[in-house]
Amino acid sequence: MPLLLVLHWKYGAGSPLPSVNATCATRHQCHSSVMSQIRNQLAQLNSSANALFILYYTAQGDPFPSNLDKLCAPNVTDFPAFHANGTEKAKLVELYRIIAYLGASLGNITQDQKLLNPNALSLHSKLSATADVMRGVLSNVHCRLCNKYHVAHVDVAYGPDTSGKDVFQKKKLGCQLLGKYKQVIGVVTQSF
Amino acid sequence: MLSLQIWLVQALVVFLTTESMGELVDTCGVISPESPVIRSGSNFTAFCVLKEKCMSIYEVNASHIIWKANRVLIPEEQYTVINTTTSSVTFTNKSLSNVQLICNILAFGQIEMNVYGVKMRVGFPPEKPKNLSCIVNEGKKMMCQWDPGRETHLETNFTLKSEWATEKFPDCKAKPDTPTSCTVAFSPVYFVNVEVWVEAQNALGKVTSNHINFDPIDKVKPNPPHNLSVSNSEELSSILKLTWINPRIMNVIRLKYDIHYKTKDASAWSQIPSEDTATTRTSFTVQDLKPFTEYVFRIRCMKEDGKGFWSDWSEDASGITYEARPSKAPSFWYKITSHTQGSRSVQLIWKPLPPFEANGKILDYEVTLTRWKSRSQNYTVNDTDLTVNLTNDRYIATLAARNLVSKSDASILTIPAFDFQATHPVTDLKAYPKDNMLWVEWTPPSKAVRKYIVEWCVLSDTSPCIPDWQQESSTIRRTYLRGKLVESKCYLITVTPVYGDGPGSPESTKAYLKQAAPSKGPTVRTKKVGKNEAVLEWDQLPVDVQNGFIRNYTIFYKTSNGNETAVNVDPSHTEYTLSSLTSDTLYMVRMTAYTDEGGKDGPEFTFTTPKFAQGEIEAIVVPVCLAFLLTTLLGVLFCFNKRDLIKKHIWPNVPDPSKSHIAQWSPHTPPRHNFNSKDQIYSDGTFTDVSVVEIEANDKKSFPEDLKSLDLFKKEKISTEGHSSGIGGSSCMSSSRPSISSSDENESAQNTSSTVQYSTVVHSGYRHQVPSVQVFSRSESTQPLLDSEERPEDLQLVDNVESGDGILPRQQYFKQNCSQPKTSPDISHFERSNPVSSGNEEDCLRLKQQQISDRISQSCGSEQMKMFQEVSATDAFGSETEGQVERFETVGIEATVDEGMPKSYLPQTVRQGGYMPQ
Repeated sequence: MPLLLVLHWKYGAGSPLPSVNATCATRHQCHSSVMSQIRNQLAQLNSSANALFILYYTAQGDPFPSNLDKLCAPNVTDFPAFHANGTEKAKLVELYRIIAYLGASLGNITQDQKLLNPNALSLHSKLSATADVMRGVLSNVHCRLCNKYHVAHVDVAYGPDTSGKDVFQKKKLGCQLLGKYKQVIGVVTQSF
Repeated sequence: MLSLQIWLVQALVVFLTTESMGELVDTCGVISPESPVIRSGSNFTAFCVLKEKCMSIYEVNASHIIWKANRVLIPEEQYTVINTTTSSVTFTNKSLSNVQLICNILAFGQIEMNVYGVKMRVGFPPEKPKNLSCIVNEGKKMMCQWDPGRETHLETNFTLKSEWATEKFPDCKAKPDTPTSCTVAFSPVYFVNVEVWVEAQNALGKVTSNHINFDPIDKVKPNPPHNLSVSNSEELSSILKLTWINPRIMNVIRLKYDIHYKTKDASAWSQIPSEDTATTRTSFTVQDLKPFTEYVFRIRCMKEDGKGFWSDWSEDASGITYEARPSKAPSFWYKITSHTQGSRSVQLIWKPLPPFEANGKILDYEVTLTRWKSRSQNYTVNDTDLTVNLTNDRYIATLAARNLVSKSDASILTIPAFDFQATHPVTDLKAYPKDNMLWVEWTPPSKAVRKYIVEWCVLSDTSPCIPDWQQESSTIRRTYLRGKLVESKCYLITVTPVYGDGPGSPESTKAYLKQAAPSKGPTVRTKKVGKNEAVLEWDQLPVDVQNGFIRNYTIFYKTSNGNETAVNVDPSHTEYTLSSLTSDTLYMVRMTAYTDEGGKDGPEFTFTTPKFAQGEIEAIVVPVCLAFLLTTLLGVLFCFNKRDLIKKHIWPNVPDPSKSHIAQWSPHTPPRHNFNSKDQIYSDGTFTDVSVVEIEANDKKSFPEDLKSLDLFKKEKISTEGHSSGIGGSSCMSSSRPSISSSDENESAQNTSSTVQYSTVVHSGYRHQVPSVQVFSRSESTQPLLDSEERPEDLQLVDNVESGDGILPRQQYFKQNCSQPKTSPDISHFERSNPVSSGNEEDCLRLKQQQISDRISQSCGSEQMKMFQEVSATDAFGSETEGQVERFETVGIEATVDEGMPKSYLPQTVRQGGYMPQ
């Protein structure tokens, strides 16, 4: 597990859930409206994804705003797949993987941006807020999978480690991820 | 090696120090438990265990232990000696107070020593926190608060715990200064339920509140909408459109709104119906507003489903609706300011329309004046009055106000002809204050009224009545004065009905918006003060100081040390009579004027009632004086009538023989002295009683010796003739002459009037009393009568007189002077009251001895006058001095005239027992 994930992905985010066969326990019962909450959370993420994307590439400066197609194309390798026509359980599992992937990546991006653009406070704030919402989505999905579907474990995958890359590559990977995020969250939101 | 030695030294020092400190802090025993925390109301037992070493040193055991709580000895009943080393003390039902418990021993049986002390803390375990609630202020962290329950009196920690279903959040420990709330450290995550509870813990226990589970989005208090703005519409003067920017939370939740509005000067807000603002929006149009009116708006929002909290109010925003046509015609009235032959100066006045009727900014007023069957005259006026000169005819005036949109309806006013007689006033006009307004109420007249004009002004003694006015419609029966009224002022209110043909008769009344006590009391004074009553008067208070309707006066009066008496007086009076007053008493009086709101004292006035009523003194004094005068007069008259009787009974004449004198009549003795001046005679004034006895010798036969004397008189007649001054002379000389003269003149006939001086007896009254009746008596002295002895004829003459009292007719020999001027002529008086006459005689003798050689030829009468003068100086009857002097004056003149006469018959006084040489 990358160090950034350890440092910034708190409260077990991104950690693999116990497998279905394992004991699935939560601290308390999920609220009956957890699915509604998930939808609201996805809507919340979806409504802010584009603004976050714009805010990000704007904060990176040239050449990003003028070369979005080249620099910010949503070409993210190993991004978890999502099948919008799947069952709720399958969608929840895929959603879990996606949010876990995005959450870990946002953590890395936030860390990089605080170093690369320390004055972009609005961007920092928005990145943190988005990451907080993703934590909430993971909690709700986890609770739903565990309480309803008794899924105790979900295998997750994480993005590439950017710690050894140069600044431009970091910015580019971040921009590509946010572009992907804007693209995927819309689809996911629509599917729930 | 060296380092090893240094290390050993250091180790030794540390060891010794530790040992010594251990000795120093070593105690004789300990108390268990060391830090007791006791639940209030429970029992508690503490144990004090002594150390063996100490016990042997101080020769004590557990029975020598005594316990103290807060330095107060605990009763031994609470002690228990468990064994030789341990003693316990038990507290039952321990109350709420911290106690310092000390275990002591009595060393050597008597010296008290502290062994160990602990502090007992008493309190309660925490109660279960109640009413836990949380709020998420948008953009801030979640804050929860609770009710901690009763005071524990112990240090109690409150911890807010929160968790998701899948993970737990860090605890939020409440700060000691705010133990009832805590703000979590993490940002809220919406749409994830969180479970929250509070854990309270102190030394006596731990307790947890109920868990609450909620979605933070349902506890949100959004930020208020901002950038609220208001815009109007030219098409509709009754609407305003609000626009605003929603808080950011709108991206997450749907909102509903609460919109308030009011006119600018209003205090209460109106609310837009909630169903009209129940959905998320960024603008709203408010309808049914008044034209050209400024409105103020504010807005707030909350989650659409009503969960959570209303945001704070946005900042106020205001806007003005567009103008509309004036909704009402202006109030219109007129005054005739002057009138001359055939024309009138009329001032048309009107009131500006209030904003809610003007519906815009009034640009000007249009006035038309129409005389009967004449063309109208139009005026455009920016002000609110117009003065025109009219004839005495009837006019119709109209007035309309114009704003940006249009002009109002016209107010029509009939200005009647000059000779118009107003009638039909309103009736039952009343004015009264209510709700801090001055209301006017009336009964309309029977005639159809077009409108009413209500005028009012402040009545004052110092300033003129400047009227204000307002117009009321014909349906109004009651209204309030819409002017700036002040309290404590008297308002004269006039209501005039206005008919189609002109104004009716005005009707007036007075009223106060709010009465107060008079600012000055009446000054009372006395109009008239009597013995038992006083009439007080005062002036009516000026209206400026009345501050209300004077309901009554109260007069307070009292004496300087008496109780105060109060009298109420009707306010219409200006004087009052205080009766039943005490005479000759100082009264203090003051007067208070009362309105409905209180009274005010006037200055104190004092007056004193007189001792006597008017005319009372005169009524007493005059009769008394008259009675006194009458009594005096009667007394005088009585005394006068009974004077003899009174004299006889009160101070009868008692002759004093020892002071008797014998006056020697020595006609042959020439005068020895002359008076040098007449003044000497009168100087002393008084004249002693000298009488000359004239005996009328009617019967010469029976008095043959008298003839001898008569002869002797005759010898002297030539020299005395022509010097007679008639009977009544007051001197011995003058008194003798007429006797001589008359006797001489009547001698040829049966001259019974010829007199013979017989003798003079001078005596003084008894005990200085003046004898009322003096009897010319014969001296019974055994002393030789000198001349009489030498001339026995003289003595004989005297005897004859005595014996002839009953024979001789009454004759006045010498008019009695002194106090009895009206002495009866039949009684001869010879009064001599001065006993010092002897001294005068001595003076006379001394003078004679000195002057005898060179004044041998001078008359003795002069000398005797001088003697009389000296005697009279000590005469007690001073009141008669003047009369006597007058008589002396006569004598003096004659004495002067007779100064050259060597032969005069002068009476001489002779000291009793003495002899006066002739």
